[in-house]
Amino acid sequence: MESLVSFVLALLLAPLFPGVINRTKAFVAGKQGPPLLMKYYTLAKLCRKGSVYSTSSSFVFRMGPTVSFTAALMPLLFIPLAGTAPIFSFHGDVIVLFYIMGVGRFFTIAAALDTASPFEGMGAAREAFFSTLAEATIFAVLILFYRMSASLSLADYFHGERAVSLAGPTGALLLFVIVAMFMVLLTENSRVPVDDPQTHLELTMIHEVMILDHSGPDLALIEMGAFLKLLFYSVFITHLIQPLVPAGGPVVNGLLFYAILTLVYVAVGITESTMARFKMNLVPKYILTSFTLVFFAAILTMGFMQ
Amino acid sequence: MDTLCYALAVILAGGILPLLLYRQFKVMKAAAVIAIVIGSVLGLMAIPPAMQDTGPPTATWVWQQFLPLTFSIDSLSLFFLIPIFAICPLAALYGYHYMDKSEEAWRIAVNYFCLSLLIVSMVLVVCADSLITFALAWELMSLTSYFLVVHEFHKKETRAAGYLYFVFAQAGAMCIFAAFGLVYGATGSFAFEGLDQLSPQLKLAVFFLALLGFGSKAGIFPLHIWLPHAHPAAPSHISAVMSGVMIKMGIYGIFRVYTQLGDTSLLPGQVVLAAGLISGVLGVVYALGKHDLKRLLAYHSVENIGIILIGAGLGMIGVATGNRAMAVFGFAGSLLHVLNHSIFKSLLFMGAGAVLQKTRTRHVDHLGGLIKRMPTTGRTFLVGSISISGLPPFNGFISEFLIYFAAFQGLALSGVSFLFASLAIISLAVIGGLAAACFTKVVGIVFLGEPRSTGAARASEVQASMTLPQLLLALLCLVIGVFPAPFVQLAFFGLRDMALIGAVEPGTGQALIGDLAFAARLFLGILVGVTLLRRVLYARKEIASGPTWGCGFTQPNVRMQYTGTSYAMSIVEFFQPFVRIRTAYSGIRRIFPSTTTYETRVDDIAEIGMHRYLLQPLVKILDRLRWIQHGHIQLYIGYIVLTIVVLLLVF
Repeated sequence: MESLVSFVLALLLAPLFPGVINRTKAFVAGKQGPPLLMKYYTLAKLCRKGSVYSTSSSFVFRMGPTVSFTAALMPLLFIPLAGTAPIFSFHGDVIVLFYIMGVGRFFTIAAALDTASPFEGMGAAREAFFSTLAEATIFAVLILFYRMSASLSLADYFHGERAVSLAGPTGALLLFVIVAMFMVLLTENSRVPVDDPQTHLELTMIHEVMILDHSGPDLALIEMGAFLKLLFYSVFITHLIQPLVPAGGPVVNGLLFYAILTLVYVAVGITESTMARFKMNLVPKYILTSFTLVFFAAILTMGFMQ
Repeated sequence: MDTLCYALAVILAGGILPLLLYRQFKVMKAAAVIAIVIGSVLGLMAIPPAMQDTGPPTATWVWQQFLPLTFSIDSLSLFFLIPIFAICPLAALYGYHYMDKSEEAWRIAVNYFCLSLLIVSMVLVVCADSLITFALAWELMSLTSYFLVVHEFHKKETRAAGYLYFVFAQAGAMCIFAAFGLVYGATGSFAFEGLDQLSPQLKLAVFFLALLGFGSKAGIFPLHIWLPHAHPAAPSHISAVMSGVMIKMGIYGIFRVYTQLGDTSLLPGQVVLAAGLISGVLGVVYALGKHDLKRLLAYHSVENIGIILIGAGLGMIGVATGNRAMAVFGFAGSLLHVLNHSIFKSLLFMGAGAVLQKTRTRHVDHLGGLIKRMPTTGRTFLVGSISISGLPPFNGFISEFLIYFAAFQGLALSGVSFLFASLAIISLAVIGGLAAACFTKVVGIVFLGEPRSTGAARASEVQASMTLPQLLLALLCLVIGVFPAPFVQLAFFGLRDMALIGAVEPGTGQALIGDLAFAARLFLGILVGVTLLRRVLYARKEIASGPTWGCGFTQPNVRMQYTGTSYAMSIVEFFQPFVRIRTAYSGIRRIFPSTTTYETRVDDIAEIGMHRYLLQPLVKILDRLRWIQHGHIQLYIGYIVLTIVVLLLVF
């Protein structure tokens, strides 16, 4: 029951946090910025509208948003939120979840190609390439976590007997993971320095260009899916940072969780304000840097654990 | 065993009948298809009773008094019989409308004859119980498949592809026979049982020779060169059988030799795993770089053989290090991937064949928008694409998950084995991502968007005999993905008689598979929920249609669509120098530019390397010996006499 409440709360809060990013960016730029609840207004507006479909597109185009939303929703059912256990959990769920996110990506890309638009094809090609590289980093993290906690599920990583924690004997290695996962978060969620969510009509973009032709509730599903995906990665990083306060109880732990989660979003906002977007040919190097960090950490465990 | 014999007889009849009936084109095709389907169903029916037997039933057939051919069935053979009997009849059915040129009736009759012989020979390969039986069946399989490849022998490139395949098949067979020769030299018998008596060094030599030979059949990088040539040349249902089933006989060979040798050293596992990693990653990268639909699928076979070998390699390392969970899950994942790959790869080749038949082109950049014109083929191809990318809730994911699981078990090992296990995990992740990239390319460029040529614009759906097998295979992909338990049990059953692993306790991995099935069903359930939500959101809303938004450009045309070449180029470039990209650009020279051309090709480094470092030196040496070949028959007879005399004197 507690888990379900926590899950619903996270779903309801998901559109709030991108507002935090925007407020941070506005603050750094010395502007007032859009209201914190802006994304809620956008979603409501989109849901009220109808849609225009391209004559080039087929049923795959209409399936795209549905599948990508489902794929973004699934991981949140399996990750501990605000100190509560996840709704579902089993040994091996991480592999399934990252592959399910792959299904979402498959359909997003296919839907983009379905419009016969050269712009969307370009975005699709980049998405396919960069996410493959990011997958290498993610699985390197899983290798490291298996060495540290001997488990393969999100619940055991963060709440299990041998949970990974900064305070643990191998906690120093988590510093690498935090940095690498933050880089992956920026890549997978199309943030600066990989992609720029603000510039419409630029040839050099990934996510925004792929959804150019979607409109109405379909677009709302895509937007909500993107918020959920960002939330998943941010929660992942939050768990790595958050110290567990056993005496605190659910309220203290929950508040601490959301405070750190907000900080992760603020960090995204600050990165976005202080960095320029990379040239596209630098992005693979950027992602491989994150991979190298984690793989190095995994190699180090060979020394730690013998 | 009896049912199996009847099955083979019926299938063989399905091959001989067309030779007699070729004047009645439709009757001939129907007779062949019906007989092959009935024979295969009989074969499938023979499997469940054989699964109950613990002692392998043996059949011996003495030929010419000196050649005892012995057959027996153990769990491994039974497992490999399933794809043979499941895929081949569907391919034969598909061929009914695919082979539609009645003026080529005789040739088509021969094709059915060779197909039935191929099926029979594959069954004999997996049931062979002695080295000599195996070798004969293996040769029969290679020869019949060669004749199937050169079906369209009036085309020059088909003959070249057939020749290449023939050379690789025979060179591979030579390595296998050399391995068998080593065994015979040491034990003096052709029985499989003698293999574990060999000395450790000899075991390694036999294993690696056999690996070379079976690898060239299976298509391990860099021995895969024949695949991307032979598959486009062969008729599509033959490609489906060859890629889906026949190349797995190479995997069967590796499993069989490994089991019989009983070698528990670390080296074979490491080599097999390394071969798997290289084949897996480079196979999919080359697939991305290729734009001939069937050639691309052929490279994906290389990739999937890589995945199968990663599983087998992990299993062997598990055996060598005493890590039982790793061994069981590695081998089981590998076996299940054999079955899964045979399903989705034959599905994809059938889809490619349908596209080829209706549009007369295999080049992806000339196609487009086919899902509207060929709805069934398009949808089943989409299912096959998701399955081969290893994505849930389809079957490819289940076997890849088992292999992942084995690799994660291997992380507990120390030293080199840990590195191998982590490399396996990362490679599997990269292979999965790249395969998804490649199949979004194929689906997106071939089936979605707008047609890029008139051929694609005029395409229509193929006949029922071609769509039915595709529908069945697509359904199987989903069924294995959502209800994986019996199929995983089947893979575990396949390991029953592999003495090295020991008995697999009943219930192994049951909880795990249950969880996987749960996740797949949960995903489908939520998907249905979200679909309903979407329907609610769209209730009473205005839905309009219009042109794709061109970002302000008002005159878009179909040639402006993104092409498969540009889609894949950045990924392929990333993998240089393992991939050679050749571009020819005429450039813009004058003030008023005339026609400019731009051409880019992705060359296979294995092909270049083999040509430069093996073929050219070989030709140079053999060129010196050309004087031996002069065309005087009396001198040739002299050579023979001389050889016999020398042999008699020496031995």
